[in-house]
This record gives sequence, C-alpha cells and structure tokens, in this order.
Amino acid sequence: MSDVQMEDAEQVYDLDKIKLLPGSSEDGTSASFQIVDEDHTLGNALRYIIMKNPEVEFCGYSIPHPSENKLNIRIQTYGNITATEALHLGLDNLSELCNVIEEKFNEAMN
Amino acid sequence: MEIDSDNGAAITIRDADKDHVDLVLKNVDLSVANSIRRTMLAEVPTLAIDLVEIDVNTSVLADEFISHRLGLIPLDSTDIDELSYSRDCTCDQYCDKCSVKYELMVKCNSDSTSNVYARDLSKFNNNKILGDPIIKDKDGHGPLICKLRKHQELRITCIAKKGIAKEHAKWSPCAAIGFEYDPWNKLKHTDYWYEVDADKEWPKSANCDWEEPPDPELPFDYESKPNNFYFDIETSGSLTPDNVFMKAIEALQLKVAGIAVELNKEGVEGNDASNGGFTTYGKTPGNQSPVGDSYGSGSFGASSWS
Repeated sequence: MSDVQMEDAEQVYDLDKIKLLPGSSEDGTSASFQIVDEDHTLGNALRYIIMKNPEVEFCGYSIPHPSENKLNIRIQTYGNITATEALHLGLDNLSELCNVIEEKFNEAMN
Repeated sequence: MEIDSDNGAAITIRDADKDHVDLVLKNVDLSVANSIRRTMLAEVPTLAIDLVEIDVNTSVLADEFISHRLGLIPLDSTDIDELSYSRDCTCDQYCDKCSVKYELMVKCNSDSTSNVYARDLSKFNNNKILGDPIIKDKDGHGPLICKLRKHQELRITCIAKKGIAKEHAKWSPCAAIGFEYDPWNKLKHTDYWYEVDADKEWPKSANCDWEEPPDPELPFDYESKPNNFYFDIETSGSLTPDNVFMKAIEALQLKVAGIAVELNKEGVEGNDASNGGFTTYGKTPGNQSPVGDSYGSGSFGASSWS
C-alpha cells in the first residue's frame, strides 16, 4: 500500500522543473539552466559543490527576480565534461554530502 | 584549514533536551551549513490547522483572529510521513489521508471568565498520535486560544493539513535557529558599530571559548574560510529537534533528487546525446559517467578534492 503511494509520489515531479537556457556552447561544455521553485537554499550549495569539481571552470547562480521563484545556474567547464554532466555530478555529490552529514549527526546523537 | 579535509564533515552535540539541540557542524562550506539552516526553518513538512469552519463565535475575538490563533498551535507531526499533501490527494477537498479534523465546542456558563485552551480541541479518529496538540505546561492546558465571558460560545470545526513554512510560517517546526560562525570576527564578515572601541563595547559571544582568539600581530588572512558553524535548534514541539535535523537533510536530498530525475528526462534539451545533445549521464546503467569515477565516486568522508 505505502509502496504504491511512494511510486505515485515519484511521478508527481514537476515536468518543467529544469530547462536549458539560451547561450550554451556548441559542444555543451558551457550552459545555463533554469530551475523553478528553488531558491538560495539549493542554489548556493549547488554552486559551491559544482565549483569544487576540478573540471569546472566557472559556476554561478542568480535569482533573476525576487517575485519569480526561478533559479538560474551557469556552468562552464574546461572541456573534458559537459555542463549537464557537471550539474549531474554536483547533484550526486551534494546528495552524498547530505548522507555524510546525516550519518555524522546520528553518530553524535548516540 | 581545508574544507573537506581528511576528516570530512563532523558534528559535535554540545547540549540537547526535549525541544532544543545545540551543535557544532565542522568542515563544511558556509553555503552547505546555510542550506541546512534554511531547510530546517522553512522546508520541513509539519501539520497545522489550515481550514476553519466557524458555526458560532460570540466571543470578543473576530473569526479571522481566532482562525489565525488556531493555525499557530503546534500539532504533533512525528508521523507526518503518513499524511499526503492535500493538493496531491485524490480526494475532492480533504480526507483522512491528507488531513486531521478537530472540533472545538465550548460555552461559558459560569460567572467567571473561562479560558479556551488547545486541549479543548477534540480530534476525530483519536487512535493516532499524529495531530495531538503539543501540551508542555504542567497543568496540561496547552496554548490559550481565547477567553469567554458568561453566555459566550465557540463552535468551530478545524481541518489540519500538511505543509511547509515556505508557504506559511505556522508550518515551521522551529521556533528559532541560532546560527553563528567565526565568533571572533576574524574574517571581518561583520562590521561592528562603535563609539570609541568596538572590542570593549560589544559583548563576547559564548562561542568564543570554542575558538582561538585572533593574534593582533598577524596580518589579515584573506584566504581563510569559516569552518565551524554553531547551530542552536529550538523547536515549537511539533517535531523533536533531532527529527528536524534529519528531516531537513531528507528534504534537501529530495530536492536534489527531484532535479536529477527531471534532468534525465527527454524534456531537457541537450539531454539526448544521440541527437546532438550533450550528455548520456545516468542513461546507460553500469557506465554512469565518462569521467565520474575519477572524482565523482569517492565518498565525501575521504574526498580526494582539496
């Protein structure tokens, strides 16, 4: 029962959550993305973790207008990976960092 | 000190009780610490009264005033995962799967003023803990909702729903979060106002004891970064503070996962490598990323990045 509900919840994800903005290079090593319904909570941490990647030359984010819940994020790499891959790796790494912090918190609580 | 050094993230819990935890988070970036703070404040789902149907209100307080007060009552949200968001539910308006229902039926018949407390809320389907008003005072009253004079009456039905504090602050599990770094202001992120001498006029932070005082002889270290973050999480009672922390991390991961899933879908231009797109990331199982293994797979606890 609860598993079925979980699967349903999985599919409720917003279809237009993320899109590619104009201004990407031909080979995809630099690109800008727009994420809806996100703010500095995700933007700043994601920017930091993507910037940590030694393959990434530049990563920056902006909230273009305070009344629109949109987050723009720009990624430029040195050329060995594409911006989309850098974003994917950033998301994976941030998730893993969360895992580590959660683990450390549990250890500290016990 | 290097961030993500050999030790990786570390947490020291300095003090903890029923509705409060004081911890130091070390070896993470300011942006990550701030993300955790922001998620705990605004994105951890809880339960709060959201719909109020008023049959009779002859009290001195206006309907909307009482409705607002009802919304702010902390409700036990430990098992909030059992409940779905009302907007995602298949029902028409609200049902047992996405809401908790209460009745408030009180009338003052005595000559003295009678008080209406949160304990007077009677919950429907009362076999669960979910949605019990949080009562902490030793008399067992809970928060005061309203006062009634003789013959004044309240007949109210309340519907509590799941939500997050980004929508309305009543859903915040936190009363307050103390957040501090660099108590000696070595990084000069703060500019203290002063009349004669800032050092004498401003009190020292309690967290100063946890860090070395600056050496006035040394030049300003423009490369240093904050490394220790002092959190003081205080909850409203709807969730325990350790639960708030855990659920915040969970919420943050859910955000990240949501974007990762969307990024993999066809809808994102430049995703379809066979049609001149940019990436095949995550599309071929077993060969996740062309370069991912060189640095992407190491655990953060022992990261190779410096």
